[in-house]
Amino acid sequence: MAVERTRTAWLSQFVFSQSSLQDFADCERRFQLRYVEAQPWPAVQSEPLLERELHAERGDRFHRLVHRHQVGIELSELAPYAAGDPDLAAWWDAYLSFVDLHRLPGQRLPEFSLVTELEGVRLVAKYDLLVLEPAGGAVIFDWKTYHTRPPRAWFESRLQTRVYPYVLARAGRNLPGGPRDASSIRMLYWLPAFPADPVEFVYSQDRFEQDEAALSALLSQIRQRLAVTSSTAITATWPLTPDERRCRFCEYRSLCARGDVAGIAVDEVIDSDFDSSSLLGLSDVEEVGF
Amino acid sequence: MNRSRFIEGPAGSGKTTAAIEHVHALLRDGVPAEQILILVPARSLGTPFQRAQATPDWPPGAPLDVVTLGGLARRGIELFWPLIARRAGFRDPLREPRFLTLETAQYYMNRLVAEQIRSGVYDSISVRRSQIIRQTLDNLAKAAVNGFTLEEVEARLITAWGDRHSSRPPVYRASVDLARRFRALCQENNLLDFSYQIDLYARHLLREPQYRAWFAGQYRHLVADNLEENVPVVADFIRWAWDALDTALLVYDRDAGYRVFLGADPSGMAELADLCQEVEHREPAGVSETPLNALSSTLAALLDGARVDESEPSIEPGLALSVQTHRFFPQMVDGVVDEIAALVEAGTPPGEIAVLAPLLGDSLRFELIDRLEERGIRAVSHRPSRALRDEPAARAMLTLMTLAYPDWGIHPPVLDVADALQQVIEPLDPIRAWLLAQIVYRPGSGSLGSFDVIKPGMQERISYRSGEQYERLRSWLLAFSEDAPTSPPDHFLSRLFGEVLSQPGFGFHADLEAGRVIAELVESARKFRQVLHPDGADDWREPTREYYTLVQEGLLAAQYLSSWQMEQQDAVFLAPAYTFLMRNRVVDHQFWLDVGSSVWWERLEQPLTHPYVLARSYPADQIWTDDLEFYARRDALRRLVLGLVRRCRERVHLAVCNLGESGYEQRGPLLQIIQRLLQPQASEGDV
Repeated sequence: MAVERTRTAWLSQFVFSQSSLQDFADCERRFQLRYVEAQPWPAVQSEPLLERELHAERGDRFHRLVHRHQVGIELSELAPYAAGDPDLAAWWDAYLSFVDLHRLPGQRLPEFSLVTELEGVRLVAKYDLLVLEPAGGAVIFDWKTYHTRPPRAWFESRLQTRVYPYVLARAGRNLPGGPRDASSIRMLYWLPAFPADPVEFVYSQDRFEQDEAALSALLSQIRQRLAVTSSTAITATWPLTPDERRCRFCEYRSLCARGDVAGIAVDEVIDSDFDSSSLLGLSDVEEVGF
Repeated sequence: MNRSRFIEGPAGSGKTTAAIEHVHALLRDGVPAEQILILVPARSLGTPFQRAQATPDWPPGAPLDVVTLGGLARRGIELFWPLIARRAGFRDPLREPRFLTLETAQYYMNRLVAEQIRSGVYDSISVRRSQIIRQTLDNLAKAAVNGFTLEEVEARLITAWGDRHSSRPPVYRASVDLARRFRALCQENNLLDFSYQIDLYARHLLREPQYRAWFAGQYRHLVADNLEENVPVVADFIRWAWDALDTALLVYDRDAGYRVFLGADPSGMAELADLCQEVEHREPAGVSETPLNALSSTLAALLDGARVDESEPSIEPGLALSVQTHRFFPQMVDGVVDEIAALVEAGTPPGEIAVLAPLLGDSLRFELIDRLEERGIRAVSHRPSRALRDEPAARAMLTLMTLAYPDWGIHPPVLDVADALQQVIEPLDPIRAWLLAQIVYRPGSGSLGSFDVIKPGMQERISYRSGEQYERLRSWLLAFSEDAPTSPPDHFLSRLFGEVLSQPGFGFHADLEAGRVIAELVESARKFRQVLHPDGADDWREPTREYYTLVQEGLLAAQYLSSWQMEQQDAVFLAPAYTFLMRNRVVDHQFWLDVGSSVWWERLEQPLTHPYVLARSYPADQIWTDDLEFYARRDALRRLVLGLVRRCRERVHLAVCNLGESGYEQRGPLLQIIQRLLQPQASEGDV
């Protein structure tokens, strides 16, 4: 009974996202450890640590600059923040030259989230920028500050490409201009290092139905795992990925007895943006505790 | 404003439920969720709103924005930094700010305090370096949340002290001077601690027209829950936002106000009722119909100074209480564990039991957890700022750190090395770990010798398998010396953990608790590096040593278990009483430990600051007298006791220990009140 309570509590508080679902798709055990058990494991995820961190920080700064621009801060106020870092400056210049975006009419919702219910659980999409066109269309922009440009097939295989438009189609009923029809939604991955080569996906009702089926199946699978877990023991191990190459870039490799040293990931695209906010939490500042 | 409402009442009167229903109604009316701001005083108090969104009838859309003023300030500053940085006087406004945690703020202040300590200015009071730093940060926070200048803080503290003893005013001045120098350092380096974030937000961002326009476009509806726990600057914020809102709902608990020592201003927040079109007073459902309600009203009356016969509840309040009395502390712990085991045996889920103490010391915490685990009952404890160095796994990592950096000249004692080896080498028991450490470790040089050169008989006694693991660890530590200049402290800890200590055959391989503790340590080292050395270092050995020293001094690395983790576990919850209250959680059974202790009634000794004097509602020219101290304590005890009882569904179990942990007889004010409640004929005390 206690285990059942825990499982129900977990499901009711957890918000599924593209990154947590991607984790499940990549390795069920990783999903279990990261989200179900919230088990921190402080091994190095991938090397070289400092370079990767620098790159991630640069990506954050780029996202923040775009956010500032989209809320209306003057370009003259923003330009100096991109100067001094050649990569960031180049990305910023590319963004400023992104004519298709700047000419696109409509209401802009930067860093905007939507949540919908599916299979009795919550599913969130966090958009870098959502543009609601006056004619009823909606364009999802996602900035990818990768070193390399992955092929279109790679983007197509990512759950983000399914989750983002699907959630918009389902949860956008209170958006200005009313609900968005699936066929009016486009999703655009834009890579500032490859500004002329965005990856665009046009959504449709068919695609919406396929995505709903696929996401429902994935969520049912997770529910099933939780049910099996609760009927045996809470710590029962979920299946490990059969592709052991993934383990080189996973911090749990030692716990799973799948290697000791972290892989080198300078030029590899690994979407490691673990979504810690999926757990019930608030973006917050630390207070003096007691 | 189309509609504004103020709801006030005690815990259990349905205020938060009403607030959630209000939000739900807005959503049903078509209000976009992103236009609703839910303002709470602490993250834990936002949980009911987060939970409500998980219910099946909650409409899809944007997630609710549940935030503290601190969170709002940080987000605002991060986004609108280019608009305020220059005006606020930062030396390098074109550089992004760095947000300090409590830990990293302490580190920076530590750099400034050494000179003051050497000057002897704090010699007149008994206070440690870490206390000077924390209380000075507290003075800065109190200034920010009340909108005081540091000059006002100094003047208030000195005035309130009166003419008691002439040594204290210089101490106050020293603390405020330290605060000033810290603020100057922050301004010079774009560093923002909690107090500076609040200060910048209130004094600069709220006055920025572009921010006001953005805010008005973003939020049309405000719900502020648990206002009584919030700080004066929140009232200023609500007044600032008021005219741009379509609706506002303000929720206030008239008996709470547990965060006074963090700057909460219950009386000031009550004045916000004057802004509202409607004021609604609520009472708990079914007053005095249950023994717990009777207990709550009787305790309230007694704490207000009434006689027992005046309180006269219709139901015997003692029915909601059980009392066990013991002579010694260990007996009390045994008695409590027995009673919990009986409850669990009878079907009470462990998660419905809270064990509360005025303070939760290490020995009490470990003893309770151990005893409960012996009975197969899971327990979690929550102390918000427990030092990580006190955790065995963290201690082992820190010992190994000194062995990896022999050039520091910090050579741990053999006992520490033995303890570390026993933890990290799986097959080693304490005796063999001690033997191994004594043989291979050279305390003079801090180096480790090879297992291979130990006499075969001794090798056999220690075991070859242990020797193999030891050699692997030793080789790794030796090889690391080449990487040390390029490895920051978090990288060292992560690699040691991942490449060796959590590998199969090592002690931390499947030790999930060790993983948790060491993850906190790594996170603390990472924050240290990112904030203190944002531009990197040519050689990381010295910064790593700084980090190690700070952890040892207790200035860094406090652990904060997330609320989510706490709520997830069906386990007995052990916590200081105030921590439990601030989680706003209701349980079936509460155990109040050591009810005779006077600590239930005392406030923290803080010679450099003062929670009541540094409050907007306190007259700036008033001396803090013994009478005021007495009434403040009585009021705090009243709020605490009522708050606890109102968060209990079934029974309050009191555990009394005649002799306290240190062996002295105890008869604190809480015990006196309980005795008066249970034995009306007993003589009445002073409280």
